[in-house]
Amino acid sequence: MTHTLHRKGDKEGLSNDYIVFAISAQTVNAKGSAPKFKEFGDIVLKYNPVNYGDMKTGNAYNVGVDKVHESYKDNSIVHAVFTEEDIVAKVLKELREADLGLSIVLSGIVEHTSECCHKISIEPHTIEYSLGIHGKTDSLPEDNVVEISTMCGHGMVSFSLIEHFCEEIEKGRITADEVARKLAKQCHCGVFNPTRAAEILRLMTDM
Amino acid sequence: MYINQELCVQCHACIPYCPMKAIEYKEESKRVEINIDECVECEICGNADVCPTGALTMEEMKWPRILRNQFSNPLITHPDTGVPGRGTEEMKTNDVTGRFKRGMVGIAIEMGRPGTGTRFYDVEKVAMAVAKVGVHFEPHNPVTKLMTDNTTGKMKDDVLNEKALSAIVEFDIPIEKTKTVLEQLKTVTPLINTVFSLDLACRLNEDGSNPAVCLAEEAGYKVSVNGKTNVGLGRPLAKEE
Repeated sequence: MTHTLHRKGDKEGLSNDYIVFAISAQTVNAKGSAPKFKEFGDIVLKYNPVNYGDMKTGNAYNVGVDKVHESYKDNSIVHAVFTEEDIVAKVLKELREADLGLSIVLSGIVEHTSECCHKISIEPHTIEYSLGIHGKTDSLPEDNVVEISTMCGHGMVSFSLIEHFCEEIEKGRITADEVARKLAKQCHCGVFNPTRAAEILRLMTDM
Repeated sequence: MYINQELCVQCHACIPYCPMKAIEYKEESKRVEINIDECVECEICGNADVCPTGALTMEEMKWPRILRNQFSNPLITHPDTGVPGRGTEEMKTNDVTGRFKRGMVGIAIEMGRPGTGTRFYDVEKVAMAVAKVGVHFEPHNPVTKLMTDNTTGKMKDDVLNEKALSAIVEFDIPIEKTKTVLEQLKTVTPLINTVFSLDLACRLNEDGSNPAVCLAEEAGYKVSVNGKTNVGLGRPLAKEE
């Protein structure tokens, strides 16, 4: 649940982080939905998402977009990550016109995603809000590490891996962009935003 | 997961990949080992494909250890839900399932998230705390399936010391109970040895307003600027009651 929610960051830091994904309901409309995911992919891929993936197959950085796009299943959950609100509004408009019948979910700053819906006269159906992280929060690393790690909602990008790669960047062995792509490989669903991650890594390492 | 010591070349490449820091270099044995009590069987190390010799090896797991794998590796379709990952479809398909109707709120408490992991005894503590004020645990959620009593939140004794990357206590309540439940959650929060991520989902009002956010704020919770919106394009649309 909530694999695209709980991305830590403030309004400015989250302003280039949007996910559009499609899912069918296993008890209602999943049967025979695989071709609909293909249509979804045909639409969103035209807008050059910075990541793309399906929980059933992998993502743009570990198996490649083509593999994802030829492997949809009836229980796929297909995600595209974008960095610009205007592009998201265009994607949403096309998805509405295509009338795929899949449930479409939009993750991001709610003020912005609501505006995307408003622009094209879509009335949002249901909203889920994060109420933050609680409990033994003093065990967490610095905020920047948590911001990068929470871009994979399943916890596949470990805190220690981010810290390890920061050291490698500081030693000049690898660039922030290369690290962002390596981290994106770990997040199987393809909801990790490598563009935002690289920006945070540059901030952390002063590189 | 274990390391086949005959294959391991002590390159240490796998160590930072483990979210539980369970892969350690042991000075006394001069070799890299996995702390099997801390390992949540997420397979991140193996799937990262960083071991040059294929020394990271999965072994067949029996109950209750198999739970670690089922809850921690999202590449596995969970046997209790039929969907990949450790949760349910929840609000993602609410436009066609109608699971969260107007007047109801869904709450999910994801124990161990982010990046920390949780023992099921901490999951039980939280489930039993919210159960005291009356909640309807989601029957298809894999944590609910581990309960021996859905009215108290009590879980099976043999799973309590198992550890997962995260596990979600998920339930529905009438909207007017939102503040009570969130305040009750505060009473158990200092008693657990991990973190949790909290969220709240609801069907929007006909005028597009959100009826639950103000209740969360009244209970003293800060609502994040980001969220997840089901835009209502699924078909057939669930009937409103």
